[in-house]
Amino acid sequence: MKKLAIYTVILAFCGSAFYAVSAAEQAAAPAEPAKQEAAKEPPVCFESRKGASEVTQREIKPGWPNVKCSPTTGAALWYGDPYEGTVPMGKMPGLEKIPEGHALIKPRSEKLALMPMCGTACHNGVGPQFNPPKLPKDKRPTPIPTMGAMVPDLANFQHGRGRIWCLDCHHTTKRNMLVDHFGDPVSFDQPQLLCGKCHGDKLRDWRDGIHGKRIGEFVSSGKKRWFTCTECHNPHNVQDGERNRGFVQLQPEPSPQLPKGMKDAKHEKLHPIPH
Amino acid sequence: MNSNETPPADPAKELSAECPAPPASADPAASALKTSRRDFLKAGGMLSLSSLMGTGALMAQSEDAHAAAEWAEHFQKNYRLMTPEEKNEARLRLERRHSQEYGKQVTVDITDAQPGMLMGYALNIRKCIGCRRCVHACVAENNQSRGSKPGEKIEWIQVLRMERGEFAKDKMNHGYPEGLGIQVGGNAYTPAGQVLEGQYHYQPEAVPEKDATYMPIACMQCEKPPCVKVCPVRTTYREADGPVVIDYNWCIGCRMCMGACPYWARRINLTSPVLPKEEMNPVTHYLGNRPRMRGVVEKCHWCLQRTRHNRYPACVEVCPVGARKFGNLLDPESEVSKILERKNVFRLKAELNTFPKFFYFYD
Repeated sequence: MKKLAIYTVILAFCGSAFYAVSAAEQAAAPAEPAKQEAAKEPPVCFESRKGASEVTQREIKPGWPNVKCSPTTGAALWYGDPYEGTVPMGKMPGLEKIPEGHALIKPRSEKLALMPMCGTACHNGVGPQFNPPKLPKDKRPTPIPTMGAMVPDLANFQHGRGRIWCLDCHHTTKRNMLVDHFGDPVSFDQPQLLCGKCHGDKLRDWRDGIHGKRIGEFVSSGKKRWFTCTECHNPHNVQDGERNRGFVQLQPEPSPQLPKGMKDAKHEKLHPIPH
Repeated sequence: MNSNETPPADPAKELSAECPAPPASADPAASALKTSRRDFLKAGGMLSLSSLMGTGALMAQSEDAHAAAEWAEHFQKNYRLMTPEEKNEARLRLERRHSQEYGKQVTVDITDAQPGMLMGYALNIRKCIGCRRCVHACVAENNQSRGSKPGEKIEWIQVLRMERGEFAKDKMNHGYPEGLGIQVGGNAYTPAGQVLEGQYHYQPEAVPEKDATYMPIACMQCEKPPCVKVCPVRTTYREADGPVVIDYNWCIGCRMCMGACPYWARRINLTSPVLPKEEMNPVTHYLGNRPRMRGVVEKCHWCLQRTRHNRYPACVEVCPVGARKFGNLLDPESEVSKILERKNVFRLKAELNTFPKFFYFYD
């Protein structure tokens, strides 16, 4: 009798084990297409501010992604390869000491949707009104509806508080370039050459690594990726009134774990002394 | 041990040793066997022999890297007393163990401090927007425990939200001391100005908020660290290039250092750390981010696995506003040296004479 009971138990155990295995297989089957879907679209995370530079997550070597994105906010959280998609910065006064190829930037031109068109489609110097090409007589901005529709930032243009206009920064005849003090064109990838015209103190701090951000090797002669002005600041509305201290607001990452037994963090909002 | 009973040795070993004692019975009356002193000693000798053989087998076997490493770690010295060969052995042992455990090629770096390097950190307190990206970058880099149960989630950086006080007009003459006519904007009973203590768990829709400032704190890598002074096993110490590190194998988890640290920088693994395989960072340093065990204290070490190879720490690389700066204090061209030269700098709790290598600045 006892033996029979033991056999029954063993049989029942084997049966349940078999059932568990088959159930697990069934559960795994529908999960696979979902995984493939996720694999199709790798996460793209923004680096400094939304709307500026972005990175697409991919695996460089097994178990080593180029970047880790935040599941909550979609921000870049960790760099496996800090130099991805970079090109040499080009000539920059004051940075002659840096060895060749150790100052890198990520080109902005690819991210600017209007860039390839603006110099050819509209501001090409030919057209019914501009033939022969004529430039504005004064520097008083005239609103152009087509332009305003394409660049929404212009509706809320704040830079300079009304004291500067488009052609103080954009080149008069080469609209896919910026302009320096001498009227020479400056690439969109090197906005520091333009911004430094007025913000000299910030340019000096940026050159020394105090202002702005650099990633890569920290030693002063090391290979670094430099974040240029427009990767962090939107030049058209840098003084947005909705902001706090000049920064665009963004969603914060999740808060730390509450201590055991604590339901919420309301105690943090109580003033120790009522007033 | 009762001399009347057969020593509870391995039965297989017992048989092969031709033990004359009959098998013990559960019946107390039957168990009163007559064993001579010689038999007892013989059996005892066999027991110790068998346990030694077991030890040998455990040390020799190579399939279970985890067990082998754990066993060898019991006999390893404090990291500072190890010879280079011993350090290398420990490195190989850990690499094998972690590679097996996490299913990928894990490297454990043992690079020492390089001459001419003194790491320094600077943080622009005016720029911090409190987005906590540094906190999570640190977790992605440093293999902290990230479970959901209490005590399983460890973060080394804390971001404090501080309320901006307002200096109300009606409180302006509540200064202290009144008799001297010095106005300090409120006193202990009717404060005017900043009164709310720091908040760690703030979670607004968007940061920075208008009425708040943010202050990130982590290990300050003191030159005279109080945590090092109190460590009873001397497992935490300051490296020659700046960071204060921990040899996790020698940590006994007494938490004296946690009490001694004036910057709330240290964390303890109260539970077995929860570290999913796919999230584990395989590039580690022995004194840095190698996976920790239960009951050891850990803290920021300025990403030793990165900075010993000249790479910026993880928190510096993700700060979206560029508030975090890192460099070599001995190099006058480094960004931290330039900040010390040019900006308004302070150290947190400088009055404690801990001499942090972490500087706050503003411009």
